[in-house]
Amino acid sequence: MSSDNLVTLPSGEVADDFRQTRRVEVSVLPEAGDRNAGDETIRNYTINFGPQHPAAHGVLRLIMELDGEIVERVDPHVGLLHRGTEKFIEYKTYIQSIPYFDRLDYCSPMCMEHSFVLAIEKLMGLEIPPRAQYIRVLMAELTRIMNHMLNLGSHVMDVGAMTPNLWMFEIREDLMQLYERVSGARMHANYFRPGGVRQDIPPKVLSDIGEFLDNRLKLFEDAISLVADNRIFKQRNVDIAKVAREDAIAWGFSGPMIRAAGIPWDIRKSQPYEVYDQMDFEVPVGTNSDCYDRFMIRVEEVRQSWKIARQCLLEMPAGPTATADQKVFPPTRAEMKTSMEALIHHFKLFTEGFHVPAGEVYVATESPKGEFGVYLVADGTNKPYRCKIRPTAFSHLQAMDFMMKGHMLADATAVLGAMDIVFGECDR
Amino acid sequence: MASCSCSGRSAAKERLNASMASSAPRTLSNDGVVEAAQAALGDLLVATKDHVGEITLTVRREGVAEVCRLLRDTPGLEYQQLMEIAGVDYPNRPERFEVNYHLLSLTRNRRIRIKVTTDERTPVPTVTTLWPVAGWLEREVFDLYGVTFAGNRDLRRILTDYGFEGHPLRKDFPLTGYVEMRYSEAEKRVVYEPVDLPQDFRAFDFLSTWNGPEYRLPGDEKAEPEAPGGYSPAPATGASPKVESAAGAGKRENNKPYTSDHEDRKTAGVQEAQAEARKPNEAKQAQVGGVKTDLPEPTPDSPNVTRDSGEAQ
Repeated sequence: MSSDNLVTLPSGEVADDFRQTRRVEVSVLPEAGDRNAGDETIRNYTINFGPQHPAAHGVLRLIMELDGEIVERVDPHVGLLHRGTEKFIEYKTYIQSIPYFDRLDYCSPMCMEHSFVLAIEKLMGLEIPPRAQYIRVLMAELTRIMNHMLNLGSHVMDVGAMTPNLWMFEIREDLMQLYERVSGARMHANYFRPGGVRQDIPPKVLSDIGEFLDNRLKLFEDAISLVADNRIFKQRNVDIAKVAREDAIAWGFSGPMIRAAGIPWDIRKSQPYEVYDQMDFEVPVGTNSDCYDRFMIRVEEVRQSWKIARQCLLEMPAGPTATADQKVFPPTRAEMKTSMEALIHHFKLFTEGFHVPAGEVYVATESPKGEFGVYLVADGTNKPYRCKIRPTAFSHLQAMDFMMKGHMLADATAVLGAMDIVFGECDR
Repeated sequence: MASCSCSGRSAAKERLNASMASSAPRTLSNDGVVEAAQAALGDLLVATKDHVGEITLTVRREGVAEVCRLLRDTPGLEYQQLMEIAGVDYPNRPERFEVNYHLLSLTRNRRIRIKVTTDERTPVPTVTTLWPVAGWLEREVFDLYGVTFAGNRDLRRILTDYGFEGHPLRKDFPLTGYVEMRYSEAEKRVVYEPVDLPQDFRAFDFLSTWNGPEYRLPGDEKAEPEAPGGYSPAPATGASPKVESAAGAGKRENNKPYTSDHEDRKTAGVQEAQAEARKPNEAKQAQVGGVKTDLPEPTPDSPNVTRDSGEAQ
């Protein structure tokens, strides 16, 4: 850029026409006569938080303008983990796209799949059998517990406590083992499929899930008892990053973030999907809308998810776990060995895939982090024309600037931890 | 001006999604929403659609901010939250881009979609004045599609790399992109190079499973039939691709680290790849339709921008 864009105005300001900015050029140190002995020249300075920072929960780059230790302005730079998921999905068939969703929020993979398969099913008008719905709800709630174990643990670690994180990782590890026994993979499950779930859960695994639910809640309560009333923990979280109710709405908050602001909004309750309308659970709501409320809401959500998972196990009906429509859901292996029809269906499904009728839907589910939406545009072929993913983190992280204003630098980790951000999902 | 194309199904339903077969989230019934929106919006409304229980209002582009304000503030509609802004690209249309706003009513427990269309050069009015959350959502649509938003003070790229060129979710942007990056051990920094695929990108068209794409592989020319009367195999119709071995890093000397850097790859072709990315749309091969844009990229007049690459500080 040439310097002829710069014009010095009579007021001493420098106008830069190219960037459309005005700035005052000042010398770094004042004139010698302007100073008194002992005067300090304090300037705002700007620091880079991240992109590689252990408390940034991934690759987040925060550009912070500090006045001493007080944060004046935060400019989050996201996109460092952008992998072009939405572009990839346009080039894949519907079934091939599901694994991409596991890799969005890799802390709650099945909840990511959930929105996508529901969007496909809504466009196709596909009904899925009750057992599959119960299995989906069961796994979604176990996923929520898994996600919150990671978030609560890392939140307390970010503000200085060590032990609860280790204890909660034990629960998370148990859940991942169950994940593996249900779906075959510890994290990237690819388990929810359009029309149902990939395979039934064996009875032994169901009983082990029950055993887990019976025995492990105590470990969680022990871990929380270490921090919930802890003086240091409260000092670091209470009254940090308070968000008014109107702000929470205007900034598009969802999930625990909007519930902490005192708005009882939970998509599982207000717009129930699957069998959530038959589940007996409460929606915790905050009163103070600070980081402590967000933390405690997640704690209570774990207890409620525990309850839902138990109810699913008790009430789960017998029956098929996927739709009988073989144009959508592949046949079993045994069937393929005996039936020519089944073999053809299998071949067609895994080469061409099924066709989704043209149309557009926006389906949002209550992921552990908030409203996770999928806007799906189908053009009647076997590939999505457009699949826009609505990440929960986008609106929350954007609000970081006003939430951090006037807080100390050290509060950034508490605010980030209470937002529960995962960059696989934010950057897509 | 206002034409209604709503399907007749909506009138008969009491609770919208009760009859819906799938187990997707069930909102409250959308009965009466279209009528209320028509009354509130007047001739800002171009078309309405009710498909699988979701209402889409197509509105006039210049009025989108006003439409959003009316939908948010009119009693009975009360769509308080903006959840999502999604761009879609239809290169065959005269106005190739769609911008979809997804609103949510917390009090009425409903969702609605607002749709406007635009092209490369026509900006869409911003809704950041109504919802601050629109800032990043509009930045994302700008980044991925190149749709500009008039009035958004901070229209920087958001998801793509610093200094990225092109708008990757346009249908004429190749899946592989134009440049790739790697760490160059010789230069001790990350370098950008034109995309070099060891194998051609394979776009399978599974719509017709039995007719796969046809590739011309080296040696195929030998299988072609002889020219009539020829006494020797006919010369190949097309010159077979000449494969040159890469120059490699050259002879390894004592002072030279052993790297996979190719001297000729380091800088060669970068200009060409960038020129490809900068080409006007009608010059791109895969491009169909669309309008030529000779306007420069919009310059964000944000306080955060201090460098040309869009990078702050």
